[in-house]
Amino acid sequence: MAAAAKRSARRGPPPTVFRRAGRALGIPLGSVGLAFLAGAVIVTVTGGNPILAYQALICGGFGLVCFGGEQPALQISNTIVFLTPLIMAGIAVALPFRAGMFNIGAEGQLIMGAIAATTVGIHLGGWPAFALLPLVLIAGSLAGAAWGGIVGLLKAVTGAHEVVTTIMLNFVAQWFLRFLIIGGPLQLPHGNSRSSPISHSAVLPTLLPHDNSVIVFGLPASVYRAHTGLIVALAAAAFFAFLLWRTSLGYEIRAVGQSQRAARYGGISVRRTLVVTMLIAGAFAGLAGAVQIAGVDHNLTDQYFTDTTGFDAIAVALLGLNSAVGIILAATLFGALHGGGSVMQSDAGVSGNLVYMLQALILFSIAANFLRSVQLRLPGVGRTPLTPEADAAAAALAQEVDQSAAADDKGIA
Amino acid sequence: MNALKDVLQLLVTPGVWHATLQAGALLLLPALGGVISERSGVVNIAMEGMMLTGAFFAVVIDLAAHNVLLAVLGAMVAGGLMALIHAVVSIRYRADQIVSGVAINIFAAGVTVFLLNRFYGLSDVGQVPARDALPNVTVPLLSDVPFLGKIFFSQNIMVYVAVVLLIAIQVLLFRTRLGLRIRAVGEHPQAADTAGINVYLLRYGAVASSGLLSGLAGAFLAIGVSNTFVPGMTDGRGYIALAAMIFGKWTPVGALVACLIFGFGQAVYDANSSIRISQYLLSMTPYLLTLIVLAAVVRRSSPPAADGIPYVPGAE
Repeated sequence: MAAAAKRSARRGPPPTVFRRAGRALGIPLGSVGLAFLAGAVIVTVTGGNPILAYQALICGGFGLVCFGGEQPALQISNTIVFLTPLIMAGIAVALPFRAGMFNIGAEGQLIMGAIAATTVGIHLGGWPAFALLPLVLIAGSLAGAAWGGIVGLLKAVTGAHEVVTTIMLNFVAQWFLRFLIIGGPLQLPHGNSRSSPISHSAVLPTLLPHDNSVIVFGLPASVYRAHTGLIVALAAAAFFAFLLWRTSLGYEIRAVGQSQRAARYGGISVRRTLVVTMLIAGAFAGLAGAVQIAGVDHNLTDQYFTDTTGFDAIAVALLGLNSAVGIILAATLFGALHGGGSVMQSDAGVSGNLVYMLQALILFSIAANFLRSVQLRLPGVGRTPLTPEADAAAAALAQEVDQSAAADDKGIA
Repeated sequence: MNALKDVLQLLVTPGVWHATLQAGALLLLPALGGVISERSGVVNIAMEGMMLTGAFFAVVIDLAAHNVLLAVLGAMVAGGLMALIHAVVSIRYRADQIVSGVAINIFAAGVTVFLLNRFYGLSDVGQVPARDALPNVTVPLLSDVPFLGKIFFSQNIMVYVAVVLLIAIQVLLFRTRLGLRIRAVGEHPQAADTAGINVYLLRYGAVASSGLLSGLAGAFLAIGVSNTFVPGMTDGRGYIALAAMIFGKWTPVGALVACLIFGFGQAVYDANSSIRISQYLLSMTPYLLTLIVLAAVVRRSSPPAADGIPYVPGAE
């Protein structure tokens, strides 16, 4: 460490906060840029105007550069509605990633959370809000935790691969949902494929007063659907960061993710850690489902059968580099993409499904680290020199950075 | 009690077994693709997306050219191209193969509807006329055998194709030199490389074949089983094929058994009108069954040793 410090001193001032942030943001931002570039090519090839499309997308997502008569505040409100569950579901994917597991099951865990929240919100409808609302969120978390816990348990006891078990549990949850709301115990007496609404005291209040007489940005306040679930999501993100970096459990999770063997020699029960990780991850996803019910939907519908939040969450976690702040930023981006998709379709005439393609392209770009190969191939673009000696020096530098980052991590833990 | 009687009643209906075979064949094609890909050491959870792409292009080409053979070939090429993306990203760029697979599935869901909107407007869905669809083949004489004849000898042409491919791939993998090489690359690529086998070439080929097979299944679904394209019409079949592959311990014949079980579940679901249990609860059973089997037998079923690990020449 002393040598590293000396060397970095020789090179000039130590990295500032900004430089560190730049280094952390480089790959995700580059990947997003690359994906949008590829998306622009796709739009152009299929006869659309990419500038018009992206302008409408930004308008629909962030309420900026709107020329089609959209209400910017309303667009932002919609984006908040989309990003709220993405934060919690993103954590549900990121935490297992930290332990070296791949949770494709956030969707199923979210559905089970939504089911439990709805059930409690209907059947304990007479309870006052201060008791019922927390209970609804807790019920959702517990149901999600149970669904995730099965995965952890199967992995720990029989070694069943979590990718397969989570895919299976997603389907079980989806069909269980359909069973409940189509001809099952939760179906509305005379409705089709939806449950009755939850009690008013189980509803998460909107951020703005639900009052038609209050005018906000030229529209009655009640049209803004952004709800206090956002605060729940941000609190969840803070809890995730605390858990990961300030608790011994977080240390164990990261240790297991780095090397199961080393963790075992360090006295950590790997199996226990895997199960606990999946329990907590499932709870986050279940909370996302409960917040969706209590905040926006207020009843279970067939929409949850085709919901993709849990899959979008994979992209959120990867783009956010499995960190709390990164997940919030990535969820904002994907929330904006989903919010902007419909505006792009109506204003620019480009199918809103471009959003999914962009999402997939971002995933490819991050997973394959195209950026690095571009850097290596184009002299002048990247900072990586091309001579073998300089190449080796750059590799040594990269290693040093990794080590100092690892040392930082340990310091915090 | 009534529900049990309904189920027993179903078991003696030839229609259910006919449907089981059809649904099983539909799952078998992508499952075979998965077997080849993973035997070569590339994890493939993208059969869903490749199948969906195949289904879309089968309908598009059939609508444009009114030629079933062309539609099937186009579907296979489309599936193969999606597979090539997966291959390049995970072999050339050594990306996480599960992430790449997830991305392919999301991309396929997006690109099919994106192009659908481009070609046919925002709401239209292509409807293939029945005369362009993949034909049913009735074997003379044999199809007259009571009960069994209708089940085995009056099927869609794709069911027979699937059976032929099943045998061919089982023989290829376990009885030929090429098959031995594919398996060697999946078990120990370093050793295979040392022995002069081109690891990358075989892996590219194996992943591409999984795309061709999944695309073929997509064509079967879109212009054989139904005669239209509906967004997301694969409905998780690619994932079930994945489960079938694991269930069948990465062998074609094992996958067949699993596909028939899942196919039976599908057939019972489709025959829902005559049953008094919720069809949705019934739909859960194949997935629950997979979970139980995974929990019970997983120790005895392990994937190829190098499955999911990118090959870096010279690294050990």
